[in-house]
Amino acid sequence: MSETLLGVALDAARTNGIRYADVRVVTPQRYLNLAVRNGNASSLTSSLSSGIGVRVRTDRAWGFAGTSELTPAGARQAARDAVRLARAASRGAKRPLELTDEAGPRDGRYATPLREDPFEVSSDEVVALLTDAERRLHASADVKSGIASFQAWDETKWFRSSDGASFHSRIVQVGAGVSATAVRAGMVQTRSAPGPFGGDFSQAGFEFVRGLGLASRAEEVGKEAVQLLDAPACPTGPTTLVLGSSQLALQVHESVGHAVELDRIYGSEAAYAGTSWVAPEAIGTLAYGSAGMNIIADATEAGGMGTFGWDDEGVVAQRVPIVAAGTLVGVLTSRETAAHLGLARSGGTARADGPDRSPLIRMTNIDLQPGDRSFDELLSGVKDGVFLETNRSWSIDDKRLNFQFGTEVGHRIVNGELGGLLRNSIYAGMTPEFWRSMDAVGNASTWHLWGLPNCGKGQPSQLARVSHGAPAARFRNVSVRGG
Amino acid sequence: MARGASTPEALVAAAVDGLPSGTTADARLTRSTWTTIRFANSRIHQPLIERHAYLSFRVAEGGRLGTATTVDLTPDGVAAVVRAARSMARVAPVEKRFRGFPNDGAPKPTRVAYSSATVATTPEEATRVAERILAATAAGSPGGRTAGVLNVGGETLRVLNSTGLNRSTETSAAQTSVLVDRPERDPPVSGWSEGAHWDLRRLDAARVGREAAERVATSAPEAAAPGEYRVLLRAPAVGDLLGFLAYLGFGGNGEVEGWSCLKGRRGKRIAPSDVNLVDDARSRDTLPSAIDYEGVATRALPLIRHGVAGPAVTDVLTSGRLRKPLTGHALSPEAPQSYFGPIPSHLVLTPGKAREDELIRETKRGILVTRFHYVRVVDPGKSVITGMTRDGTYRIENGEIAGPVRNLRFTQSVLGALHDVELVGRDARLMGGERGGMASTCPDLVTSSFRFTSATLF
Repeated sequence: MSETLLGVALDAARTNGIRYADVRVVTPQRYLNLAVRNGNASSLTSSLSSGIGVRVRTDRAWGFAGTSELTPAGARQAARDAVRLARAASRGAKRPLELTDEAGPRDGRYATPLREDPFEVSSDEVVALLTDAERRLHASADVKSGIASFQAWDETKWFRSSDGASFHSRIVQVGAGVSATAVRAGMVQTRSAPGPFGGDFSQAGFEFVRGLGLASRAEEVGKEAVQLLDAPACPTGPTTLVLGSSQLALQVHESVGHAVELDRIYGSEAAYAGTSWVAPEAIGTLAYGSAGMNIIADATEAGGMGTFGWDDEGVVAQRVPIVAAGTLVGVLTSRETAAHLGLARSGGTARADGPDRSPLIRMTNIDLQPGDRSFDELLSGVKDGVFLETNRSWSIDDKRLNFQFGTEVGHRIVNGELGGLLRNSIYAGMTPEFWRSMDAVGNASTWHLWGLPNCGKGQPSQLARVSHGAPAARFRNVSVRGG
Repeated sequence: MARGASTPEALVAAAVDGLPSGTTADARLTRSTWTTIRFANSRIHQPLIERHAYLSFRVAEGGRLGTATTVDLTPDGVAAVVRAARSMARVAPVEKRFRGFPNDGAPKPTRVAYSSATVATTPEEATRVAERILAATAAGSPGGRTAGVLNVGGETLRVLNSTGLNRSTETSAAQTSVLVDRPERDPPVSGWSEGAHWDLRRLDAARVGREAAERVATSAPEAAAPGEYRVLLRAPAVGDLLGFLAYLGFGGNGEVEGWSCLKGRRGKRIAPSDVNLVDDARSRDTLPSAIDYEGVATRALPLIRHGVAGPAVTDVLTSGRLRKPLTGHALSPEAPQSYFGPIPSHLVLTPGKAREDELIRETKRGILVTRFHYVRVVDPGKSVITGMTRDGTYRIENGEIAGPVRNLRFTQSVLGALHDVELVGRDARLMGGERGGMASTCPDLVTSSFRFTSATLF
């Protein structure tokens, strides 16, 4: 059926003036969201979706249409809608649209390696696991909100384009986490594990969730949330900052990943997400950070939420260096933006979050490579500083320069030793100065690949699932304060 | 499944009625069509049409609730979603305070304000509106670069439940936001405006474009030192602050769990008496909807009356947990936003009397903020949020706009900003509402103390 719909839509899109077309049929698109909150079912939802997305291009403009009607009539309607939009948009377009000519494998199959299909695991078992973990969060009556949650996605997709790309994929992703919020006298403190935003996530089966050890982490999470109510505030002033792996992953996401999206650099997202401080002519010369900064966008990484076989333009997944020894060497591209930059090929990062959305440049797995220091060695060079971990708030300007992040926990570092908890910790800075101040990078023992399920971009809003590998690392002379 | 049921509506009604004894349900059937015309670099670059039909089905079995959704509206698809919802409910913890699905007995509402022509907008018509915006910005800011979006369309929502409730509402929306920038300048400058209406014919999209162009600074922004300033917040910035207050202060879950920033403050003064905020999904000044996603008739709910804080909003679960009445603010149970619980989503801040020039004059010395960017919560209990200014930040000196300033980061309590309101503008504007979602109708505000904590380079 899906193969038939691809053909129906593609045939309907091949009309006068249409130079290119691609079609995605997604079925099934499944989502499980199970969450226990204060002993109640916060969400026990099973979602089943499907649809067709048709994208066409005249020599000057795109048109896209998506529908949930998975029938030949729906496919033809979507193709007609896309063609009408592209023709209408062509009227005022002066500049021709160019796309890269893609080489490499342009057809095949991709499937997530699974040991235990999360959609085959009994919901009783999952809810029992969550209920047990959530109960353990309530370390005292001060814990007013405990949440244990599990999410799983399953997307089966067929793709075909008018220039010969064709693939089939099935991508399965999972994640889970616990979070406790303690409240006393107007003070609110939250502690989460393994990470914020619902825990940790991976392209994997349920074996990943079993490995998270939610129940064993939950008691400590609840205790720390309560301890934070009595913890001193983070000190204020410039200091040496050691960031833990999960917070540094988000720092990579916000201040590198988004900044090197070529559609942002070219102004395509200017009105909403913003642009970038990075200029296209800076590629190859810009000193983004210190010599220890090495970042790779790797869409082939095992377990990555941003791993796939082909992107939503039919371009094969790649491993693209972004920052090498502190110098910007690459950016995230689509076929249109790569051609505009003069590249022969796209880096293959155009993705849509469903059949009803047009592909945008999205992060894949943007990893800061590990360095050579153990965690103790990162601390040992610090007479007086702070260690911050697990994001609590995040904000950055529309060129990705001025940022401010809050973390759930901090610890004072004195003479290379971690002290007690600090609450309301905030650090802030400017992207290039911050990355250039990184003087030590943690080794593989401090490195973790974090899954992030909620990267927003585009209008209408699209949520991408991406990953970031990050070690712990040390930064000098960073502005910190207690909120 | 009842014999002879053919339409999705009939299939869903039969599914709700056909559940075994002791099992109840509510269902939401939505159909939507949206056209989005995105433009950037002064040309249309991402035009899109979406057509959706979608069913959300929630069952309750002995106080255990489970939800399933589908886009398969065939008999087999509806039967499957019922099975999936029941399988979810069977493993759910018992919700001890679940009082059953609601039926408020109100007359059947359908449309509040609706434009069938807006929903039927063709791709060509939508594209022409976007072209008018581009023409307006080109005329208003020659050499400027325009980006933005136009969303046009609508949704039909039908809600049914086991009490016999069977209601529908139709909503339409047209929304645009426009940015004009001059990236070649050092530092770059930009201007912004936005607007929305439930009827595309009454949305003056070209005016929105002209306003964005007019707000592009003609001189280079200077640096302003971080610190406390009196600020004149244009309506989009006001809408951001109120949007955060909606869930930090008036959201149902915050009230249930005790982390609401208005805990202990309801019924008390939190702002001057000329601050009046109502959530009113029945107002034609918003993108109105006759019912919420549990089928409860919407109504005006004062949130701040003459400066005094009102109640949190509820849905069927939070009303049970709080033992408070339903307010008609339910989201669809599977919606990602339901994590925050019910939240007000049709905010209307009552306009005052001050014209824009009076607001500027009375600000005397301070900062004019057009818009915020990337706002996030720093401390929910104290309603502290952080974000950046963007697209038109100006210094006010001696009651006049003295020139543009580089953008600033604020870290500020929303309640603090409301407490210190000095003037309320007379011209309200409807904003937000992408795909008919959360929207606010706000005038400009002057507040005496607003904390900027750092600055950026542009």
